[in-house]
Amino acid sequence: MMNNTKPTWRDNLKALGYLLPMLIIVGMFSLYPIIKSLAMSFYTDYNFFTNQVNAIGFDNFKTLWQDDNFHLAVWNTIVFVVGVVPVEIILSLAIASLLNQINRLAGLFRTLYFMPFVTSVVAISMVWRWIYNKDAGLLNYLLGFVGVHPIDWLNDPHYAMPALIILAIWKGLGFNILLFLVALNNVDQRLYDAAMLDGANSWQRFWHVTLPMISPMTFLVTVNAVIGSFKVFDEIFALFGGQPGPGHSTLTVVYYLYQMFYEQNKYGLAAASGVVLFLMILVVTLFQLWWSKKHVHY
Amino acid sequence: MKTWTKLFAGSAVLALTSGVFATAVPTVANAASKPTKITFWHAMTGNYAKALDDQIKAFNASQSKYEIVATAQGDYTTLNQKVMAAAKSKTLPDMAQATYTQVPDYAKDGIVTNLDSQVKGKSGLSKADLKNIYPGFLEQAKYKGSYYAMPFSASVRVMFYNKSILKQYNLAVPKTWDDVAKMAKTLKDHNIAAVGYDKSFDMEWNSMVRSAGVKLVTPAGKVNVNSKQAVAAAKTITDMVDNGEALTAGSDIYGTTNFVNGKTALSFSSSAGISATKAAAPQGFDWGTAVMPSYKGKQATMLAGNNLVTTAQASKKEQAGAFAFMKFLASDKQTEKWAEATGYLPITKKAANSADYKSYLKANPLAKAASDSLPGAFSDTAFLGYQEYRTDLLSATDAMLTKKTAPKDALDTLQKQTTKIVKDNK
Repeated sequence: MMNNTKPTWRDNLKALGYLLPMLIIVGMFSLYPIIKSLAMSFYTDYNFFTNQVNAIGFDNFKTLWQDDNFHLAVWNTIVFVVGVVPVEIILSLAIASLLNQINRLAGLFRTLYFMPFVTSVVAISMVWRWIYNKDAGLLNYLLGFVGVHPIDWLNDPHYAMPALIILAIWKGLGFNILLFLVALNNVDQRLYDAAMLDGANSWQRFWHVTLPMISPMTFLVTVNAVIGSFKVFDEIFALFGGQPGPGHSTLTVVYYLYQMFYEQNKYGLAAASGVVLFLMILVVTLFQLWWSKKHVHY
Repeated sequence: MKTWTKLFAGSAVLALTSGVFATAVPTVANAASKPTKITFWHAMTGNYAKALDDQIKAFNASQSKYEIVATAQGDYTTLNQKVMAAAKSKTLPDMAQATYTQVPDYAKDGIVTNLDSQVKGKSGLSKADLKNIYPGFLEQAKYKGSYYAMPFSASVRVMFYNKSILKQYNLAVPKTWDDVAKMAKTLKDHNIAAVGYDKSFDMEWNSMVRSAGVKLVTPAGKVNVNSKQAVAAAKTITDMVDNGEALTAGSDIYGTTNFVNGKTALSFSSSAGISATKAAAPQGFDWGTAVMPSYKGKQATMLAGNNLVTTAQASKKEQAGAFAFMKFLASDKQTEKWAEATGYLPITKKAANSADYKSYLKANPLAKAASDSLPGAFSDTAFLGYQEYRTDLLSATDAMLTKKTAPKDALDTLQKQTTKIVKDNK
């Protein structure tokens, strides 16, 4: 009935009235900071406290372009994303498929895998600091059985990034498994039945039925994981005790931003690095969207 | 965008002022009977916070004009971040704890007020009062010749030694770095590192460079971090680390863990870290404290700790109240109480020489090294951009330790960075 009448000004105002509280919140806490930080990235001479801008320009971006630490941060961030995302997705899909197969104790396992997601990062990092301990850690103890010499995971610049990646993968599994389980449950059983009639083995069924059918979810999970990984910060902060790893080996773009903003009070530079990170994520996400058009089946 | 900014700013101001009025009006009305509230942010936790609370209670009870309302803000880093955020949103407390190295940046940003008029005012400090405070602490309270703070907590770097290890290998408590080098050779055969540092060795290095007669950054802004003496001192330290005669704490952050586990015979720590080491030490762990070993014939140790500042957002009356509290804390009786409760040093000479404090030292021999260190205690030059310099300094020591960058190269980089910081902030 409503659909047939043309909305009047009155209706529009009414709708706006309903939307207004949310619009104000979004405007104040999302839109305004985004616009403000974009503007801030161009402030080259700026008093943070009086809000007085004395000069604007591209100097912050020029500084980033020349700053070795920022290059390192970008490089480390890319290494982290490439190290985490593929493994995390393959592992969580594999575990979700297995969980989908078993009938007994599936609930228990689901809970177990989900635990890291709901536990505070700081608590997790405390446990992993112990696991990674050179002398008393669990990981070196286990590696000792296969003849690997103790590795100083947290203090050796060569191993700090792998240590961080392992932690991030482990932490991200739970949520992704849950999403994959939902997708797996929604695959129409008749498709599997039809494939069986055609003589497809279980691998073929997975490859040709399951994967295409859950591709929208895989896409969602991938985009999520990529964005999340680009923004990694708290795991580093907690795992390495408020330092970006030994020899800056886990300095990421967000960590760089944090250092500039909170430790060095270079607000313009911090904002500029945020803008660069935003552009990096934007490019990768646009690429993913373009790619998904060909490979995701809705 | 402008109108939006105004709109948001307007609504924020409205929200804030309505709160201010709600609290401000009754205060004004009852000014005669009710004391002025002085808000105070600090970074003390645990026993330290309790000791501070006792002093606040004592101050509030001692007079009726002012009432100190304290809030613990976590550690120093968090406190600093909260102060920066509050300065921006104009919600600063009336007074706060701050390290002397933060003061130049705070002064530039208009966060702290100049205390000269308070110190020299009629309820200020007399010449005798000022003379009673150790000059090193008083110097820390000044920036560009003016008072911006009052001294409060002060600690020095001291040396911890494991008595059992020294006894077992027939070693004496080292008095010089040469002694340390000698004992390192002996202990190395038994798989014990002589020296234990925190994650970074910058403070010990700084002390050695000062002993060699060089200031890393001079008050005039000359940077000496890659001077011959500075590189030599850094090399002495990293050589020992590289050949296993010294350990750094790495991800443990503090050297305490290595020390109480008997992995190092010595450990360098803040004198305020004595209670933490006591708590971490296993039953029967036998240890002592001593002054830092001398280097090139001179003993020097770096002062740390923090001062108290009043903020620019406090009213005249609140500033006066904050100063009255600072003066109270700096009194002989209070600073002595504070020192005994926390392990920090008394800031006045009379307190340090009082019979009470002497008997405290007798009962707590571990605390003695800190007061014995006072003659050689020094402060870094505080300058604009110090916090940035310190980040770079920590990167430099980290590179020497984890990436094995040669001290000369790491310090050359630091020299360039620091020179730029000093120049940019001129």
